[in-house]
Amino acid sequence: MTFDWSIVWASRGALATGAWMTVTLTILTMAIAIPGGILLALMRLSPLGAARGLAIAFVEFFRCTPLILQVYWAFYVLPTQLEVQFSGFATGLMALSMNVSAYNAETFRAGINSIRRGQSEAGLALGMSGAQVYREVVLPQAVKRVLPVLATTWVALFKDTSLVSVIAVGDLAYTAMQIRSRSFRVLEMLTAMAVLYWAMGYPQAKLTDWIHRRLAGRE
Amino acid sequence: MTAVPAPGRRYASGRPLVACQRVRKLFGRFVALEEVSVEVNRGEVVCFIGPSGSGKSTLLRCINGLETVDGGRVLFDGSPLPTRAADLRHVRQRMGMVFQSFELFPHKTALANVTVGPIRVLGMPPAAARVRAEALLDKVGLADKAGSYPSALSGGQQQRVAIARALAMEPEVILFDEPTSALDPETIGEVLTVMKRLADEGMTMVVVTHEMTFARRVGDWVVVFDRGQVVEEGLPGDIFDRPREARTRDFLSHLGWDDSGRRHRPAGSA
Repeated sequence: MTFDWSIVWASRGALATGAWMTVTLTILTMAIAIPGGILLALMRLSPLGAARGLAIAFVEFFRCTPLILQVYWAFYVLPTQLEVQFSGFATGLMALSMNVSAYNAETFRAGINSIRRGQSEAGLALGMSGAQVYREVVLPQAVKRVLPVLATTWVALFKDTSLVSVIAVGDLAYTAMQIRSRSFRVLEMLTAMAVLYWAMGYPQAKLTDWIHRRLAGRE
Repeated sequence: MTAVPAPGRRYASGRPLVACQRVRKLFGRFVALEEVSVEVNRGEVVCFIGPSGSGKSTLLRCINGLETVDGGRVLFDGSPLPTRAADLRHVRQRMGMVFQSFELFPHKTALANVTVGPIRVLGMPPAAARVRAEALLDKVGLADKAGSYPSALSGGQQQRVAIARALAMEPEVILFDEPTSALDPETIGEVLTVMKRLADEGMTMVVVTHEMTFARRVGDWVVVFDRGQVVEEGLPGDIFDRPREARTRDFLSHLGWDDSGRRHRPAGSA
């Protein structure tokens, strides 16, 4: 069996574009899913029954069904029901954002609950409103405390973005698969894809480890 | 409640700053407070003493609405504590609170802990709040720790920052909830010294404490709690030297005081 690695170099432009798309999807998803997760966590902790119920339904749906199903569902089912067609990119971003928001919601909820009650009371005793107590006292501490978990979610998300390739979003996975199908250079392209994901993922994983070390167990 | 000011109560007035009237508080079926009436006058240092679980901290928390009462009422400056959150907030701005476990905000420096109230709650310009905070940190002897985070401060230093944080709101009364109970013996004194100085300056204070020396020397009025009730109240000299109630005598003798008011063992310093 002969290998032709030149296909990888020849496809470098397309692969770079795909890799860039993967990074963009990861960043945009997190940019939506962090405020989304905080919002869902606050809804879930709110005294309003309706808000709580909504947040629980949302979180439990997205946590307990496969991401690939959510991606397909957003792409095929949602448009027929809403009679709007989003681009593959927008659909993929939406599915990823909702999924990660659900995970982040649980992360933030745990983080918020881990801040002792005396902290809120100290804010209230100063005359702060409930919203100010959250903004000034609880959330900054909760975010710091959950940062290691968010970093782990980030690395998982970076790899999970590959699932949007099933709806023809031109990320790294989709691009590599396309070149593979056209050139029949299966081993070369899959290896190139693995190397590229690893080369991008490894520094992120190391950064996560560093964040864990910096923040774990610190008040 | 007592309509006639008690004899010898120096700051007694017709209109106390804080008046708890027949306050009842339940935790489930546990009666934490049973018809408790206590008054605090302007300029007065009132000490709540009594065994653990006797309700003194609970009453303190009822005064600024951290606990809601199940019966009776709390008056602040003649008006009942509001139930609406926005109104309660305005009353809380006039009352400081110092907690047993300090509860400094760990993500803020000592200075930021002291400025956050004036800036966020009173809407003070940050520069002015900073000037005020620096003066207060200086007052509690921590001018050089303004940039330190709470984790880098000793317990006594943290509690002094917490006192500065309360003072920054220029409150009319400060509620102290066992302010020295979580401290190492060697740092208790520095906190009590700051508190004594505040008392000398005329600050109205309600102090839940196990520091009998402080209650005796600094307190103007002492209220003895047991099992959710006020057993007796009076001038420190009377409570410590001539307790009328057996339960007060029991409590004091457990702490090493006897009826003659002499201390058998040191219970901290004031």
